[in-house]
Amino acid sequence: MRPRPTEAESVLVARARGGDRDAFEALVRRHGDRLYAVVLRFVADGDEAQEVTQEAFLRAWRSIAQFEGRSHFFTWLYRIGINEAKRRAARRPAAAVVSLNDEPIPEAPDWSDSPQTRFEHADLRRVLEHAVRALPIEYRTPLILRDIEGLSTREAAEVMELGMAAFKSRLHRARLAVRRALDEYFLEGES
Amino acid sequence: MIRRFLAHRRYMREHRWTHTHLSEYLDEELAARDADRVAEHVSICPHCRRVLATLRRTLEGLRSLPAEPRPGLAEVVIDHLWQAP
Repeated sequence: MRPRPTEAESVLVARARGGDRDAFEALVRRHGDRLYAVVLRFVADGDEAQEVTQEAFLRAWRSIAQFEGRSHFFTWLYRIGINEAKRRAARRPAAAVVSLNDEPIPEAPDWSDSPQTRFEHADLRRVLEHAVRALPIEYRTPLILRDIEGLSTREAAEVMELGMAAFKSRLHRARLAVRRALDEYFLEGES
Repeated sequence: MIRRFLAHRRYMREHRWTHTHLSEYLDEELAARDADRVAEHVSICPHCRRVLATLRRTLEGLRSLPAEPRPGLAEVVIDHLWQAP
């Protein structure tokens, strides 16, 4: 889960705004791992995720004087990191993004009570990871921020600079699409 | 006949409305009256009941996805910061 904002964090941000490198390094140590985890779900591999994380912190350091503290530091940082990850994704050849299909499969079994759905199985996790990656990026982002990273709806909407209604609508469609991928998985398991 | 038609139309209206509000219901972000509305429809609609149950499981799965750590990341980032031109 993301680090909780604390009084100390606002002090660190204020010091960093004044050019204090030690304070900014403390912010890197506090938020680096979580930012890396987020951008890893947008880019090709761990090396690229590290590059994006480095670039995001560099941009944050260079523009921290413009950060006015009206939002949490981490929402501002996540926005920088995700925008950088999207910029890189746009440079790559088009990935195999599936169209957003969120309709349930009528003949799929009801797998809600299946012991397999404890998600302990590696193959089931792989199906989930693949379903998330296959989402168009504008739907993948709310799902990652809200459901995987555990941000509140308000925080995640803020990162995406979306109104609450628009954010919730995208999140719901993304969840239904991933749910459908699991329908397909369990349907195949039956056949 | 007309009564049955009206009942079906009401059912379908509730069905569509419920389907678009299942996430907010699971996130406990609906007003009490709207949450009751979802619960009432789900209690009589097998389709929505299945979608709700499997959607709940989907969220459990997403929340349990592990993050891949990158040992030493913070120090690499910090080195990069101060070496950048």
